[in-house]
Amino acid sequence: MDRRTFVIGTAASAAALPRAARAQDAYPTRPITILNAFPPGGINDVVTRPAATAMEGIFKQPVVVETKAGAAGSVGAQVAATAKPDGYTLLSHNNGISGYAEVDRLFGRTPKTTRADFIPLARLCADPVLVLVNEQQPDKTLAEFVERAKKEPGKIVYSSGGFYGASHLPVALLEQAAGITGMRHLPTAGGGPAITACLGNNAQLTTQTVQATIQHVKAGKLRALATFGAERSRILPDVPTMKELGHDVTYYLWVGLFAPKGTPAPVVSTLTAVIDKAAASPQFVEPLTNVGLEPSYQSAADFAKFWDEDARRAEDTIRRIGKVG
Amino acid sequence: MDAIQSLGLGFSVALQPAVLWYAFLGCLVGTLVGVLPGIGPLAGISILLPITFGLNATNAIVMLAGIYYGSQYGGSTTSILLRIPGEASSVMTCIDGNAMARKGRAGAALCIAAVGSWIAGTFGVIVLTFIAPPLATIALRFGPPEYTALLVLGLIFLAYMSTTSLTRTLIMAAFGLLLGCIGIDPLSGHFRYSFDIAELGDGIGIVPVAVGLFGLGEILSTPSHQVTGEVIRPKLRELWPNRQEWRDSGWPIARGTVMGFLIGIIPGSAHIISSFLSYAVEKKISKHPEEFGQGAVAGVAGPESANNAASTGAFVPMLALGIPTGPVTAVLMAALMVHGVPPGPSLVNDHPEVFWGFVASMYVGNVMLLALNLPLVGIFVHLLRIPYGYLYPLIIMFCIIGVYEVSHSIVDVWIMLIMGVVGYLLKKFSFDPAPLVLGLVIAPIFEMSLRQSLIMSDGNWLIFLSRPIAGTLMAAAAVLLAMSLLSMASKRRDWRAQMAEEVKE
Repeated sequence: MDRRTFVIGTAASAAALPRAARAQDAYPTRPITILNAFPPGGINDVVTRPAATAMEGIFKQPVVVETKAGAAGSVGAQVAATAKPDGYTLLSHNNGISGYAEVDRLFGRTPKTTRADFIPLARLCADPVLVLVNEQQPDKTLAEFVERAKKEPGKIVYSSGGFYGASHLPVALLEQAAGITGMRHLPTAGGGPAITACLGNNAQLTTQTVQATIQHVKAGKLRALATFGAERSRILPDVPTMKELGHDVTYYLWVGLFAPKGTPAPVVSTLTAVIDKAAASPQFVEPLTNVGLEPSYQSAADFAKFWDEDARRAEDTIRRIGKVG
Repeated sequence: MDAIQSLGLGFSVALQPAVLWYAFLGCLVGTLVGVLPGIGPLAGISILLPITFGLNATNAIVMLAGIYYGSQYGGSTTSILLRIPGEASSVMTCIDGNAMARKGRAGAALCIAAVGSWIAGTFGVIVLTFIAPPLATIALRFGPPEYTALLVLGLIFLAYMSTTSLTRTLIMAAFGLLLGCIGIDPLSGHFRYSFDIAELGDGIGIVPVAVGLFGLGEILSTPSHQVTGEVIRPKLRELWPNRQEWRDSGWPIARGTVMGFLIGIIPGSAHIISSFLSYAVEKKISKHPEEFGQGAVAGVAGPESANNAASTGAFVPMLALGIPTGPVTAVLMAALMVHGVPPGPSLVNDHPEVFWGFVASMYVGNVMLLALNLPLVGIFVHLLRIPYGYLYPLIIMFCIIGVYEVSHSIVDVWIMLIMGVVGYLLKKFSFDPAPLVLGLVIAPIFEMSLRQSLIMSDGNWLIFLSRPIAGTLMAAAAVLLAMSLLSMASKRRDWRAQMAEEVKE
């Protein structure tokens, strides 16, 4: 099954060198695989491929993106967690990886992967999530919406891409921050269908990223009431942040690269240095700009800090949502 | 006349040598990918997506779209010749297409599939050219309640799908629906029947089941027919459909085209059921329903046209609204976005050359595919001359590669192998696997849309009657059900008597 267990027999010729130095000099001696835990066409795919291309140019070794999607990204995470920690198998993942263990614990399952199974290498992008309502809704501001939601509990339906996912948690954060209760949740099979549900007014509210909905916002089909970003988006300068509106919450849909736990430190430092360099190259920056993402790259140290915060937030929110059905 | 002028602009783009070349490349690759069992349009496009990142936007989308509908054309080839569906939508083509091949009419079946696909594809593009935006807006109104009603209609049509008895059909459909319940409960996050296998979280894949039941099951049961190395040797004049076959396929192509297109424009995964519905409709209105399963031309012409019209229809919401209708259009959208050409309402105004070039290239691509596929018919039919002993191990290998390639999952390969054995047993006891596949397709969509509808209405079942589209579909379902019951009563046999008789058999 694992085609990457193939080892090139160069050991004999290199045996004269001290071991640690050899690992550093030699890595990488063969193609590197990045497992993408999400289906092709999604944001992970769109961001990871240019990164891989840019890394290839620096490593002078092929960097292959292999799709390993399934079960909201947990299949890919499990495969990566059990891969050989030698730097030749990396993982491209997103917010989902912050909350798996907590969702498992919630349902009384033994977590298959925890955050400790992965070493964060870099955050490739982070796209702020918007609070969006269908154009036919009367609310022009978030305050108006909150007031209406409080007045008519059980009336408003919001759509998400799936339970405990990156478009379900922000709604829970909004509910908590604004003190709304009783909105009805319409889970769908992903971000696209959730947006479609809101466009067709089958749901009145959804929280999706700038990149995924900018077209609909510009066409006036969806109205952006607020952004979960720390600052206003350059693409949508008129949309206030949650913080400006008095709710101290932020939420981003981010994509990160990870290495399995146990990857040797020299290999990790080589990787982080190369990814930092790759992220500055036009091969990486241009496609992301085209897709409508603002620069939001973070190198390993900053990303590790961010990931801790994000995971804490995800775990708290998942616990607060609790088990449904 | 605005559309005509715009189309003129489109053709001026689409007929440039470079764009033509990429359209041809896409069609060729798509046809080859489609012929490989298991690798459907999605896998084909996903594998080749990175290549297009280096092209300009027009070339990229033209090539990817070529791969997309090229693989739809190619998918019918293996279904007809070897009874191996390349994807869910070609399952119905397997039944009568392969029966025709066994009667020595493989060439005719392939031709009708190609011509039907071409008519359906071209019709779809014409509609797309002239009324995409208003159509897309109507499609948006198709929410969970409408979906539920459509699937109720589909489930009632199930009874007409099978080539065996009603009892057997219902047993198979129920089994398919049960299989379809495996996976994460979409509305609560609970795992169901997944035995702690993460890969089963998304449920049982349709491709491994279809390839296993039809393709592998067929291969496993061949030795038991005591094949003596006798292979089908079509003569050259038998390669083309005769006059009667053309006549029998005209109306089914027309009906399949219109129905497929209408189902195709609905956002979501409804397009999968278009070929199943078309087959059921053709069987229902046929003067000779007993011919279905024995090589009825309409059983190839209808579903093949429906399938291709649906895949063209899927472009309507994507281009006009920027809504992906399914995984394939999501990948195409990503390709456009990477090139800084996001599909959606502003695409036509911001990048007319891309939009119209793409539309025009679809006309060109459909003609190319016809020109590609008709000469290939002769070559493909020769495949059948390869003795079974050599051909079948090769096919099994391709089945495994194809199924693995779809999602790089060894679990899928196991599912396919197990389903191969199941398919063998079903064949032995003359059960028809098609209703099982349809049950598996419908179950997750049906469950999700039913429960979503009830969330929307806060538990009020009247939502299925109070919304105009849903109400109409439900009324049609009720009429169909009443008609079926009446016709049973007129035969003076109630359900129970019929069941009892079948049990005796």
